[in-house]
Amino acid sequence: MSDTTTARAAAQGRELDPVTFEVLKNAFATSVDLMSEQILRTCYSFVIYARDFSSALCDAQGNTVMQGSQDLAAHVGTLHFQCKAVLEEFGSDINPGDVFAVNCPYMGGTHLNDVSFIRPIFADGELIAFAQNKGHWADIGGNVPGSFDVNATTHFSEGLRITPLRVWRGGELIADVAKLLVSNTRSPDISLGDLHAQAEATGVCEREMHRLVGKYGKHDVVEALQEVQDYVERIVRTRVAELPDGTWTTRDYIDFDPAHGEGLVPVQVRLTIAGDQVSYDLSGSAAAVASFLNAGYGTAFSGIIAGTKTFFPDVPLNSGFYNAIDVDIGPEGTVVNAGWPHAVTGFCSGPYEKIMNAGFELWSRIVPERAMACSYNLEYLLIGGHDARTAERDYFMWYDWMAGGWGGRSDRDGSGATSPIFGVGLAVQPLEGQERLNPVLTTAHELITDSAGPGRNRGGSGVRKGGTLTDCHKTVMSYCCDRARSVTWGIEGGLPSIPHGVWMNENTPEERFLGSVFAGVSVESGDTFGRPSAGGGGYGDPLERDPSQVLEDVVDGYVSVERAQRDYGVVVHAVDPEIDHYELDQAATELARDEIRRNRKAWLQADPEDVAARYRSGELSMLDLVRQYGVVVDWGTGELFPTTTRQFRKMLAHRTAQHWI
Amino acid sequence: MRKHRVAVDVGGTFTDVCVFDTDTASTTVAKVSSTPDNPMRAVLEGIRAANVDLSQVALFSHGTTVATNALITRRFPKAAMVTTRGFRDVLEIRNGTKSDLWDAYKDVGPPYIRRRDRYEVTERVNYVGDVVTPLDENEARQVARVLRRKGVETVAIGFINSYANAGHEQRMKEILAEELPGVSVSTSSEILPEIFEYDRFSTTVANTVLGPLVSGYVNELEGELSGGGYDGDLLLLHSGGGSMTPTMAQRYPVRLAASGIAAGAIAVRDLAERCGYGNAIGLDMGGTSTDISLVHNNEIRRTKEWHVEYGFPICFPSIEVLTIGAGGGSLAWLDEAGSLRNGPASAGADPGPACYQLGGKEPTNTDASLVLDRLGTELVGGAMSLDRTAAENAIAGQIAEPLGLELDEAASDVLQVANANMADAVRLISIRRGYDPRDFALVVFGGAGGLHGAALAKELSIPVVVVPRHPGITSAQGCLLVDIRHDLTTMFQAESSTAEVDELESEFGKLESDATERLRREGASESDMLLERSISMRYSGQWRSLTVPISSGPEALAEAVEQFHEQHEREYSFRRDDTPVELYQLLLRATGTTPKPSFPRRDKVEQDPPEPIAHRRTYFEECEGRVDTPVYDREQLVAGTRIPGPAVVEQLDSTTVIPPGTPAVIDEWLNIRIHVSEASR
Repeated sequence: MSDTTTARAAAQGRELDPVTFEVLKNAFATSVDLMSEQILRTCYSFVIYARDFSSALCDAQGNTVMQGSQDLAAHVGTLHFQCKAVLEEFGSDINPGDVFAVNCPYMGGTHLNDVSFIRPIFADGELIAFAQNKGHWADIGGNVPGSFDVNATTHFSEGLRITPLRVWRGGELIADVAKLLVSNTRSPDISLGDLHAQAEATGVCEREMHRLVGKYGKHDVVEALQEVQDYVERIVRTRVAELPDGTWTTRDYIDFDPAHGEGLVPVQVRLTIAGDQVSYDLSGSAAAVASFLNAGYGTAFSGIIAGTKTFFPDVPLNSGFYNAIDVDIGPEGTVVNAGWPHAVTGFCSGPYEKIMNAGFELWSRIVPERAMACSYNLEYLLIGGHDARTAERDYFMWYDWMAGGWGGRSDRDGSGATSPIFGVGLAVQPLEGQERLNPVLTTAHELITDSAGPGRNRGGSGVRKGGTLTDCHKTVMSYCCDRARSVTWGIEGGLPSIPHGVWMNENTPEERFLGSVFAGVSVESGDTFGRPSAGGGGYGDPLERDPSQVLEDVVDGYVSVERAQRDYGVVVHAVDPEIDHYELDQAATELARDEIRRNRKAWLQADPEDVAARYRSGELSMLDLVRQYGVVVDWGTGELFPTTTRQFRKMLAHRTAQHWI
Repeated sequence: MRKHRVAVDVGGTFTDVCVFDTDTASTTVAKVSSTPDNPMRAVLEGIRAANVDLSQVALFSHGTTVATNALITRRFPKAAMVTTRGFRDVLEIRNGTKSDLWDAYKDVGPPYIRRRDRYEVTERVNYVGDVVTPLDENEARQVARVLRRKGVETVAIGFINSYANAGHEQRMKEILAEELPGVSVSTSSEILPEIFEYDRFSTTVANTVLGPLVSGYVNELEGELSGGGYDGDLLLLHSGGGSMTPTMAQRYPVRLAASGIAAGAIAVRDLAERCGYGNAIGLDMGGTSTDISLVHNNEIRRTKEWHVEYGFPICFPSIEVLTIGAGGGSLAWLDEAGSLRNGPASAGADPGPACYQLGGKEPTNTDASLVLDRLGTELVGGAMSLDRTAAENAIAGQIAEPLGLELDEAASDVLQVANANMADAVRLISIRRGYDPRDFALVVFGGAGGLHGAALAKELSIPVVVVPRHPGITSAQGCLLVDIRHDLTTMFQAESSTAEVDELESEFGKLESDATERLRREGASESDMLLERSISMRYSGQWRSLTVPISSGPEALAEAVEQFHEQHEREYSFRRDDTPVELYQLLLRATGTTPKPSFPRRDKVEQDPPEPIAHRRTYFEECEGRVDTPVYDREQLVAGTRIPGPAVVEQLDSTTVIPPGTPAVIDEWLNIRIHVSEASR
């Protein structure tokens, strides 16, 4: 074993014997998982129940020692910031039985909905650790139900900002403070339930830590809290040292900045490997946007950590991981480091996923066997109003998110209908549960034919969910997404998938495309709505895809006969489709592929105005524009976005066309 | 008079046939290699090997892996699904999650029924069961015709909200029956009449794809048995810890999906109960993995959230078994940061631990036990001899040398890490549910259980360890101990304070008459029937429910609600008396008791152990070195024998370690009980 020498050196740098170390390391993991188990069982909010939460054990300095194995990616790398904020605020005035709350995104938090509860853990009167649970409250006040106000430009309209705040003192709930917190939400009872559940969950971790101190002694436990971090840092550095040195740069884009009209908003990521050091630099990213699609430094950091971790899936997450990675977020005031008082609630759909996917692209070049094209964008649809099914017209909140397609990979297709990269544990809700609680009848929940980005290995398929409002009163709809214009892209010659965006009353005279971000749109009983989630981007040239794979996709309806020809140049004849009898036309396929090969670079140069006009006339489809012509328009009106198109074509040239032979 | 009870337990490696003679109250066992390709072969071979005369058999029970293996290998017949228009992909979208959050190259498998075989019909029912869109019967017939053209053998019907109104599913089933005679059809409202479309469809589809296979297997086995002269019912162990007859197994084949692992947990409950322990944690430790189960107040802990493969939930109640990758063959290794790790990779049976000399070079837990002389080089019976030098070389080269440790110390460290991992797993199944391990007995079995039991109990502060007389066949014995049992449910959504007690009573009444009918069909007499009601509820606004028993009568509901508060406090450490409680679902457990074998109880005569068969210098970490340790032959230990640790007890199928200063007793059932809490140090 070549690792033996390293292993020996590493073991000798430790004070704890190997057994105590391994036992405590695993026991820390158990103490955090126990906390997660508890919250999952006791939470009130269905958002937390759907696993939008995380748990951590931090040391006395606030550094993260262990994070839950099933935690949400977007919380990774933020929990230590929140813990340090509590330390900063309260200093030595932190006592046994206290519990603190914090959600401030300007102190390394995520967004206002994510409320952390932090409990100090003492041994023999000495502060040795903190237990933390961060959970997404379904509502935290602000202008719109669910607190996702796209139009917010500052946090004042987003909801309640909680700077570090004591909620329990010496084991006693400070009831007036708790009441103030929950009274600023639209569902105080649920919030109060979550407040209790979260605080009690941190108590589970505290009990476990006390047990460990009783058994192994305070000294060894405190030593282990540090050694577990050193251990992770060592693993990361060992792995990184084996990779080639170099610097790689890429850009991903947010759809637009309302302050500047149309035009994609760049998020730039530069990655450098030198020896055993990984460094990131986000400077070069655009100024903060005039919507809530900004990130605070905590979530930008999280996007980097989560993107990196995807290429080291087996390494535990803690501050040792963060120490091994040097991150320069760049100056304050950018879309990735917005700073007070910029609105940042939409970080999750905005910069966060852009940083993560950009990271995937960069790492795909360094570790090609784990390469992956872009995945669909996190999206939340919120409908809030009064339920006319009940005499009291109870307040309801239909809060929905979808699975979608992940990017194509080096040796296989992308994963279809999967939870977002933002948090793979975020489970799609059962619609039968939603229908009981809300006056919304779901009309479809299905995969979308042709939604997968074509490639030698195609992306995974996206999903469509549609619904009808049945009995509602004073109801509004908001949507938090992105990538209606910065469409989910392929790599190594692969093509994009499909644009995101909500359609109202589709196929009726009242049809409207509402786009990928909006807030407070009034809706009435009888209105229908629907939206896709994108598929994953393709990996590799679709003309190199094995035609028999395309045929299988046609049989299953993942790909239509028409798009098989247009995207893959594969000609399939439906002989007896009822019993899945289709035939591949080899000769026609060769001709079709030749024709695409000859023309496809020219298509990307075609006059955008002309292409947009052909879209408006119905001659070209949305998929033709995105995949063949690289033209981006308002998908509802067909109005051309010239700047966006220029940027999109440049992106396609770099990620896709340059790899075509 | 038929005097034999026969249990056949099919495991991954061996098929055990356990024969209990009611005249002599003795158990004999035959072990044959399992034949996963065609499990029936091993079953029949085992019956022959055990010299069973089927005309002398009063009761034949069987734990089978046939359903589990079919789900793992996905060897399914041509299956299709019919669902509500717009929802063809509920099965493929699932809930979107993955088992591994971070590995982007590890996917959940494709659905059991491919997209091309999933069909939609126009129909829709809303959340209260009102018809929004009637079933389009022309479409339904058209689908049926297509399925016939495709030669489909088994069909799942899953419509949205069918738990609230099963009418459309029923009608669809009638149409399929008319158009596709002989094809097996499962509707989601019959299989699992519960809210949440994906869970219901997933369970139904698993049932659908297993149907023809399980029917075939069960019919064939029944034929073989009756051909041999057995005239009773073949009793099949199901995941819920009871058994069912072939008639029911053919309707609910998915209930057999955990049949193979249920027997161990049943054995644990029985052993613990006989020893007077109402609470027990069972640890079945084999070569590659350990199955952990939990018994509380004489009830095996059950769960409704489980799967054979991640992403494919089967929502029938099942015995809760936590399987972890830790066994005798688990590998000890150093990771790149110098930490000593154990498992989940295993040397398995091939190449096996280094000491087997079958090509394995990596150190395993078995090697560590051998190096420390807890395990002997010659196993009793001489079936196999172990190579000590090979074990030493593996531990020395891979662990001791890199860590700068002495050989013994390194081997001891390997086992301590393995035990700590298992202890963490036990904590997850106990502490996280609000159980304190100190209130439990630890029942250890399987080949490696006895080697680790005492150390593990110490780690968890569990006071007593029970090592059954035959650790290698304990599971098979569990098979002999089951009753016929069915679990029925119906949705009942109301607030507890305003719920109609009459309506509740009448819903339970319907479940009970259904259950009685099922048991009657299985030949149970009224006097052997036991019907137990329970109800699941939750705090208003919460998503997860808890199930508590409920009696009948006007006060029953109020009592159940109070019990709900109490149980909530125990499991989740808080209660909210002022929050409204929502009723959610009614459950009925219907049992038809079958006669059980009675195991012989020996008289206990307090005495010293017999002459040891050997002495070894065995390493114990609590002594930080080796101490002289007597080795006893289990066959020679009679009831009442007191053994002061340290000692090693050897028998054909396992070895038990009693640590220094720890007293052990052979009880009246010939179990070894190690009283860890009475250890002198």
